[in-house]
Amino acid sequence: MKYLTDARDNNSWWGIYQCLNGDLVSMAYLDFVDRFIEANPRTFNHPSFSGERKTILYMDGDSFTWHLHDSDIIGLDSFCYFQRNHGLKYHLDTSKRNVLVIEVSERYLQSYFTGLQMFNEVLDTSARKRDVAGIYLTSINSSYTASLLPSVSADDFFNKYINQNLQCNLFNYNFIMPMFETKAALNYYIFNRASGDVVISNDRNFLFFRETVSKTDMGSSYYPVSTADAAHIVDVLNGIYEHYKVAGFAEVYFSVIPNSATIMQPEGYNQLIPMVQNDTRLRMKLIDAYSVFKQSHDVYYLPGDTHWNHKGKQLWLDMLNARLVRDSLVQ
Amino acid sequence: MTFNSLQFLVFFMVVTLWFFSLSNQKGRILLLLIASCYFYMAFIPEYILILGGTIVIDYFAGMLIEKSEGRSRKAWLIISLIANIGVLAVFKYYNFFIDNINSSFLFFGKATSIPLLKMALPIGLSFHTFQAMSYTIEVYRKNHPAERNFMVYALYVMFYPQLVAGPIERPQHILPQLKEFRPYDWNNVKEGLARMLWGFFKKVVIADRLAMVVDRTFGHTQESSSLALATGAIFYSFQIYCDFSGYSDIAIGAAKVMNVGLMENFKEPYSSSSLHEFWSRWHISLSSWFRDYVYIPLGGNRKGPWRKRVNILIVFLLSGLWHGANWTFIAWGLLHGLLVILLTRPAFSKAANSNKTGALIKVVINFILVTLLWVFFRSENIAAAWHYIKRIGSLQTGSNYVGVNKIELMFSVLLIAIMLYREKYLRSHAIASNTRFYFYFGAMVVICYFFGVFTENQFIYFQF
Repeated sequence: MKYLTDARDNNSWWGIYQCLNGDLVSMAYLDFVDRFIEANPRTFNHPSFSGERKTILYMDGDSFTWHLHDSDIIGLDSFCYFQRNHGLKYHLDTSKRNVLVIEVSERYLQSYFTGLQMFNEVLDTSARKRDVAGIYLTSINSSYTASLLPSVSADDFFNKYINQNLQCNLFNYNFIMPMFETKAALNYYIFNRASGDVVISNDRNFLFFRETVSKTDMGSSYYPVSTADAAHIVDVLNGIYEHYKVAGFAEVYFSVIPNSATIMQPEGYNQLIPMVQNDTRLRMKLIDAYSVFKQSHDVYYLPGDTHWNHKGKQLWLDMLNARLVRDSLVQ
Repeated sequence: MTFNSLQFLVFFMVVTLWFFSLSNQKGRILLLLIASCYFYMAFIPEYILILGGTIVIDYFAGMLIEKSEGRSRKAWLIISLIANIGVLAVFKYYNFFIDNINSSFLFFGKATSIPLLKMALPIGLSFHTFQAMSYTIEVYRKNHPAERNFMVYALYVMFYPQLVAGPIERPQHILPQLKEFRPYDWNNVKEGLARMLWGFFKKVVIADRLAMVVDRTFGHTQESSSLALATGAIFYSFQIYCDFSGYSDIAIGAAKVMNVGLMENFKEPYSSSSLHEFWSRWHISLSSWFRDYVYIPLGGNRKGPWRKRVNILIVFLLSGLWHGANWTFIAWGLLHGLLVILLTRPAFSKAANSNKTGALIKVVINFILVTLLWVFFRSENIAAAWHYIKRIGSLQTGSNYVGVNKIELMFSVLLIAIMLYREKYLRSHAIASNTRFYFYFGAMVVICYFFGVFTENQFIYFQF
């Protein structure tokens, strides 16, 4: 599909305002505040491996694990990434070791694992695993692009993101940016806060996405959760584990990436991740980013973004690689 | 779709321009009906079926009531009322009722658990249900003939400016206006737009700014100082006023642009010197609904002082329940009822003072009373409300942080003062001069954009 925005020259006055300095910086139009901007390289250590590459790693992840390559993970024959997109039908190559990693940001932990059926269907065992990658590419095009123009469908009119789509299509031009930045500067310098859905951390060094710090949002680090809520998530995860083990995966790993507020501003944290991860009934093996991030004195998050920085992602990759070796899934 | 969204601005422009491009009322009614359906479906599309169902029932009930006499006339009215109240009972009160039954069983040691319904409350349900009931009651009372044209009747219930948060209209006021073709009138457009902008100002510049303080203090009661909590409570009084009256202003303005006059819903409620007066100035369309359809049929003040007091209590209890299925709303309604009864007794009335200082003191005392009662309305449960009020009264030390910096706090106070001044001394929204209108329009757009707080906060009264 060709979008009107594709035809823009991004450097011209009617070009698109581009998110270059972090998603939260972009949302709050705070590009003029240096402290929220940090370079974030996207290349990672390539683990050395001399054995036979017999492992296929499937990653059911979200934006934290975008842009990963085969070479970032140890000993892979191939790497298939599908964003949280269920109802997929795919084929396992049983001549290889198939490993599934389910990665989820903390802010989606409750919403994804309390109601949704996270089941993809394994059709047969012929070697057609690449189907998944194909489906992933199709799905990202249809779901994640502001698409009011030129193709308009009924879904666009009842889309919960219609206001964002309208803003993107009506106002996302370079020549309007000074107006947005003036408002952002007014709020930042006079009222000491950010605009819209972005909140400045108590130490004023980080930006947080409002829904990760609001007490009324399920994705928040401070949203009240009970042990029953956590137990329910564990039940769902165990069901998912059973499903994929029966389908033929050698192992299923689970990893929650903490909200930046969970680590950087832990007072009042609802303890959701430890409640889930420490439940002895949980059958999935963990890539436990929470404990490692929490104990470390390093900073693993970008100051102006909802995501981790290069150091955080590298640490997580190291944990994943170590786990695969330890569990003899790459040899 | 909320009024304070980009989606609404686009929707409003498209619908209004299309509306005036049509040269007959039939087309306009059809357009407004389709637009209203879309407006409602933008929240949860499936719930249009519930609204549609009650519209069909009330439409036929209206005609059957008109045709019948005696007991069958009453029977059709009762069927219509049961249908409307039934929808309210299922969607709004069922879970509250069952939750309390389950809790009672638990209290007596029986772990019976009747399942709750897992569904969201249809938006604005209490508003359009009450408007629909007003139609069948008025037809029953022969104050208005039954509407033959289904589309017109459907539009009476669904007219998008007042569909989800009122004002709750009466058929004799709205139906004739919906049926009459009225040509484009620039003066109405100017007045309507000016009023809408004032409503936007109250919502996005004042109410949503005050919400930051209110959310902070009500969310951190334990560690906040009494001063912070009192500030939060006072700000909530103004937040809910600016939020709800702002919605009414936008609704009345949007309708005015299309040459439809809606009833006024607020008249400076915080300048009231008694709770009785407050209720004649706050949410007038609901207060008058309860007066006309509950209080007077119960006997009003015609059956002696004790019966009058009981009637007042019933009305305020229902008013509390109307707002929400929670003990906090019931407590809020009952407390208002009790205080209206107590404070209108002759002993208190004699305290009335005709001089300005005395009158001002009464206004201040009444405002404090209303503010304290709003704490019940805002809190999650009665214990939390009581705790909040107790902490204000016990002059506790604690954090004075109220969620915004001092400049924004002072700015908020200034905005409240501007709002009160404007509503007391500059009430009219009609601007005769075009130049002045364009200047006002431009200035208000700039102010709303630069000083507005845009977090997609829904209007508080949408939940009702």
